Amino acid sequence: MEQNKEMTAQESLKLISETLNNSRKSILRNHAKYYVLWGSLLTIFSLVIYLLWHSTGKASWNLLWFAMPVFGYLFAWLLSKKDAALPESFVGNLTGKVWALFGLFSVVLSAIAVFIVPMPITFTIILLLGLAESITGVILKNWPVIVCGLIVGIGGAVAATLLKTEAQLLLFTFGGIILAATGLIVKLQYK
Amino acid sequence: MFPKLDPLLHSELRLAVMSLLAGVDSADFTFLKNQTGATSGNLSVQIDKLCSAGYLSVEKGFKGKMPCTTCRITPAGLEAFNQYVQALKEYLK
Repeated sequence: MEQNKEMTAQESLKLISETLNNSRKSILRNHAKYYVLWGSLLTIFSLVIYLLWHSTGKASWNLLWFAMPVFGYLFAWLLSKKDAALPESFVGNLTGKVWALFGLFSVVLSAIAVFIVPMPITFTIILLLGLAESITGVILKNWPVIVCGLIVGIGGAVAATLLKTEAQLLLFTFGGIILAATGLIVKLQYK
Repeated sequence: MFPKLDPLLHSELRLAVMSLLAGVDSADFTFLKNQTGATSGNLSVQIDKLCSAGYLSVEKGFKGKMPCTTCRITPAGLEAFNQYVQALKEYLK
């Protein structure tokens, strides 16, 4: 890129538009890997806990859920070390805060449900998961992500009231697959 | 009568830097270099010029053990950038 190149008004506007667009694409493309990470973890944890619960009949395997944030944040930290050169953006910060709040709500509500006041936790968390995903879609202006969030949130909440015991865990498997797919959609869209 | 274009922004590399920074909170030198394809020396000189005009603020620090230069557009820089875009639109009317 030359510093003294004479530009017409059209060339200048084209440069501004292309630069902004390329920057946005590279930031959002990078965020996609975190959706794939958390979606994969959710799928793996839900399947493992489902199989353990199903084979032993013990609901206490659900305590393994509390290990998921530990693994998730460790892997996310390792992935973020490669992001050193990427800038902080409003969109990136906003989506990050939405998912951090989802994580906080999920962990605290799960802890309350297990140790203090029993509540329909699958219903609550699947609804929050769908809501967080739809809000992400609104921020990214991405219809497939909004629709995926609606399917997970509303479909999951309805299914959670119909399914009993360990079968409810398969809803999280479904939610995890959709979350990972969201990451792939974002990655492909901003390729 | 056409509005005058800010000569500081009417340069390909400086305009690209300002456009990049207008869309983010802050960006480090490596990102700006990768996105613009400029050489380190050239980019450094242009960032200094934008800093001297009060359009950018620069913070030097470390990320781990690596030195890191973080650039941020100032309110004056954003105002100048918006005026520049408005002036360009006048030219194209």
